[in-house]
Amino acid sequence: MSHDPINRSAQSWKKSEKHGAGEWLAERFTSIALIPLVLWAAYAAFTIAGTGYDGALAFVSKPFNILAIAATMLITAWHMYMGVKVIIDDYIGKPGTRGFLLFLTFALSAAVVAATGGALWLVYQGA
Amino acid sequence: MSEKTLAPRPLPPRPMSPHLQIWRFHFTMFSSIMHRITGSAAIGGVVLIAAWLVCLALGRDTYTLFTQYAASPLGLLVWFGLSLAGFVHLTGGLRHLIWDTGASFELKKANALTAWTFALGIVLTLAFWAVLFATGKVTL
Repeated sequence: MSHDPINRSAQSWKKSEKHGAGEWLAERFTSIALIPLVLWAAYAAFTIAGTGYDGALAFVSKPFNILAIAATMLITAWHMYMGVKVIIDDYIGKPGTRGFLLFLTFALSAAVVAATGGALWLVYQGA
Repeated sequence: MSEKTLAPRPLPPRPMSPHLQIWRFHFTMFSSIMHRITGSAAIGGVVLIAAWLVCLALGRDTYTLFTQYAASPLGLLVWFGLSLAGFVHLTGGLRHLIWDTGASFELKKANALTAWTFALGIVLTLAFWAVLFATGKVTL
């Protein structure tokens, strides 16, 4: 019994309880990737600010910017799902409530990815 | 007969973390909570940026409607708050990545690193908005 606090084998102590190592690495991977991406996003926001519809469309239509926006939003959605999941796992004890909140978090992250992907595709088609 | 009384007693239920009721306030605990709060607040920024992109894709009228709200004084206040949350979460993440390597984990160094990363997040936010206003890209 892996959940028996006394009679755990040495082997079971060495393993993460579920799949902690993979999540830990994914958190660090997304964190490191987001440092340059978020700084680029701040530069992008500065470039777009005050340029109106035409300026914003011209910026977002550029292939490099489409890729950069897509990467930033995709990794951000992944990062925020993992971050909120940690908070929910820490504070919500009831499995039903926790599962429901995790589902909502996943739905929000997926919606961000879908909205970004759809919008970028439309802009790319129009360009 | 007496063996029964000598048998190890079962352990009490193990505590869950973190135990908010018994935690004495300290700086790195505050920064840990702030990292969660700023990260959660930044989600609002992510949703707004996605909404901005959708409005851009839908055409000039929708985009103009979005920027009317986004560039209003209240809209700018919201963007300012979200950028503050974003920058403080960014530098807080940097702090955690430094801690992940095992560096600056001593109490005094950890407190100093926390103060520096908070300061850097605030300075980045103020610099960002100072440049936006100074170049006339954003006006009140």
